[in-house]
Amino acid sequence: MLTLLRDLRQLRRQLALPAPSRGRSLAIRHVDAGSCNGCEHELTVTSSPYYDLERYGLGIVASPRHADVLLVTGPVTTRMHTPLLTAYAAMPEPRLVAALGDCALGCNLLGTPENVLGAISTALPIDIRIPGCPPTPETIATELLTFIDAKSSGEAARHR
Amino acid sequence: MTVSFTGQAYRQRLEAALCDGWRFAGLHATGGGSQVHVLLTDREAGHRLETVTVDADASVQSIVDLVPAAGWDEREAHDQYGIGFAGHQPLRPLVDHDPDLVRWTVPVRGHDAYQIAVGPIHAGIIESGHFRFHVVGDRILHLDARLFYKHRGLEKAAEGAALEDGLAFAARACAACAVTNSVAYAHACEHALGLTSTAELARVRTVLLELERTWNHLNDISQICAGVGLAAGTTRFAALTERARRLNAALTGHRYLFGNIHVGGSNLNITTDQIRSTRAELSALQAEAATAWRELMFNSSFQDRLPDIGVVTFNDAVRLGAVGPAARASGLAHDLRSASPRLAYDGFEPAVPNRAAGDVQARLEQRGLELWQTFAILEQLLDRAIEPAAALPGNHPTPIGVGQVESPRGATTCIVEHNRHHIARLRLRTGSYANWPVVAHAATENLLPDFPLINKSFELCYACADR
Repeated sequence: MLTLLRDLRQLRRQLALPAPSRGRSLAIRHVDAGSCNGCEHELTVTSSPYYDLERYGLGIVASPRHADVLLVTGPVTTRMHTPLLTAYAAMPEPRLVAALGDCALGCNLLGTPENVLGAISTALPIDIRIPGCPPTPETIATELLTFIDAKSSGEAARHR
Repeated sequence: MTVSFTGQAYRQRLEAALCDGWRFAGLHATGGGSQVHVLLTDREAGHRLETVTVDADASVQSIVDLVPAAGWDEREAHDQYGIGFAGHQPLRPLVDHDPDLVRWTVPVRGHDAYQIAVGPIHAGIIESGHFRFHVVGDRILHLDARLFYKHRGLEKAAEGAALEDGLAFAARACAACAVTNSVAYAHACEHALGLTSTAELARVRTVLLELERTWNHLNDISQICAGVGLAAGTTRFAALTERARRLNAALTGHRYLFGNIHVGGSNLNITTDQIRSTRAELSALQAEAATAWRELMFNSSFQDRLPDIGVVTFNDAVRLGAVGPAARASGLAHDLRSASPRLAYDGFEPAVPNRAAGDVQARLEQRGLELWQTFAILEQLLDRAIEPAAALPGNHPTPIGVGQVESPRGATTCIVEHNRHHIARLRLRTGSYANWPVVAHAATENLLPDFPLINKSFELCYACADR
């Protein structure tokens, strides 16, 4: 156990990720609407020591009731359409939707029309677009942080 | 070899074949539901396709009593092609989502028995699927797993595509098994086209398959730690998984090795310099994984959680058609890598743990054993630059091609039926598809809070099964 912790500490030192500078956070709820599992694997490693998105207040939460952002992967399949809308309806407002990956954005969708409804935009309004097949953890991090920054500077401008 | 039979003769032939040591490798319908095929394989990579004509009343004899592993296949053929399977009662919907609970769940009655519904959306970064637990207190009496929420109709959508274009449907069925599914598809096409592999083509594909296995097994170990709640183990192995994916990107330009498999050949170029740096990185990865692995083995609070949880006995593994590390952890020493003439696995022997108890501990140990095998295979194969290679003509073309590859989750079979080089029927039966009914079986009689651990010890893909 001590060796595991020691090796992790060494890894963190070696990576020397920049310190978080933002005083803001986004609570993210992930919904898989029909992905190939690639976006899920990449999203999972954003919390590994190599990216550690929690430093920036970006955390995955266990319920849509706790979430600011619904992060959706995959095209919307016929069978996931209703669960996706149910999760969105359970979110408190204001609420945002992020489309993660090319399928979610409607690029090169594979499947039959009776099983695949289309991009996430066919079901929900999209606020954040994260392209890639799958998007790398860097892309996921950059897009989410850029969004927070834009939001913060927008609000700062309004308060001035 | 394709032989067509009707009615009872089909069952008798199948029974005789099973007695002769042939193994069931999948059942699927073709011709708009006019025929049903059963693929059988033997230990020497031989296979035969038994074909039965569907009766005028759209029904064939069920084989589920002879081969319980065919349960899902028959239910899928019923949902998608409207074929009845006489003797398979009740024939519950699988791909179709019937809103009537009584139609798709197993009736569980008794004092204090109740149901817990979980999913399709889960409380984490997990694929979508629904589990309905029938429990008394914390004890699981039965589990109905309802998947196919992510069903995209990939097999159907591939019909009519040219063989090379059909690759995308197999590759994008699942990111975690993308190489395996692509190679199985390419092998099926090459078999159909009468192409044989060359040593160099076998080598590049084997390297890609083992790179895929490396990150998957590291990830599986991380997930088993997560199932116990050992955060240090989860994070350590997640970091190693990330390194393996970065290595994939450095070597092939894609973290999941997408786009490197083609029908009839390989375009991948890997220079001597890249080979040198890859060998160094793999050796560092192996050393660090070995250190972290030792920590897991000697962590008693972690180890205490593993034995006797989610047991799959040897007989159940055989009966239910379990494949991959999960089957080998139950003592079933089957691994397609020991008979893969189109790949570079010469002299490969399947690994089985000393204590093949079929529980979470054995499945974890199995990942370790296979990881060291994989590092050894990669070290052996990455001894020189990799150059583009092409499959060679040499065999007779056939209308139906079969490809079988051992994925990180077990035997994956791809069947391609083509009409003048365009797909007439694509069937992809992955290791996850074969093992999902085994997971449901393994959960029975365990405590509900142990289910995440049991599930993660299999670490199956939903996308692979749903397609």
